[in-house]
Amino acid sequence: MQIALPAKIALHARPAGQFVKTASQFQAQVRISVDGKAVDAKSILAVLALGAQGGTVLTLSAEGDDAQAALTALAACVSGLVE
Amino acid sequence: MGVTKVVGIVLVSHSRDLARGLADLASQVAGPEVRVEPAGGGPDGTLGTSGVTVGDAIARAEAGQGVVVLADLGSAVLTVKHVTENLNGSVRLVDAPFVEGAIAAAVMAAAGQALDDVARAAEETRGACKL
Repeated sequence: MQIALPAKIALHARPAGQFVKTASQFQAQVRISVDGKAVDAKSILAVLALGAQGGTVLTLSAEGDDAQAALTALAACVSGLVE
Repeated sequence: MGVTKVVGIVLVSHSRDLARGLADLASQVAGPEVRVEPAGGGPDGTLGTSGVTVGDAIARAEAGQGVVVLADLGSAVLTVKHVTENLNGSVRLVDAPFVEGAIAAAVMAAAGQALDDVARAAEETRGACKL
């Protein structure tokens, strides 16, 4: 699944925390990739290290029983991110 | 998640400012669900650590789900061990980098993860590379 960050919201600090907290609600293994670099979506340090700027297209993937629910929740989370 | 009780975090540093600053940063990343309590400095604001300060911070951080404690250097670890040796198993001193471990632990705690998982998230940051 691909989804763009809101234009003015970088995936740092509080937004990154929101994203990782959402991913952590699910059993599925969830990955987030930016420009071909994929990391564990439940690792705050890894997500922060992506350095994704506002408007960046994120690619999300999930494996596990609740994978679809995880992707749905993460898409809603990303769309709704505010500073 | 606002009403759910989560694991608390205590940050023990020789410097009051360092503990407070890191608590601010971790709280901003993790959000309002988690209590991140600084326990920095010795008596009278000197550089050092204080068992009383650490004990008070643990008490503030405990919401019924346990507390993960991170320490900066050397004798801060000894202070924490001294304070916690008479407490039960719900307080966990973790072997983790101070900044990275605090951020990881705070986010996992805010996500509602259990004490073991929060402690593991902090300790898994030992291998984190910055470049």
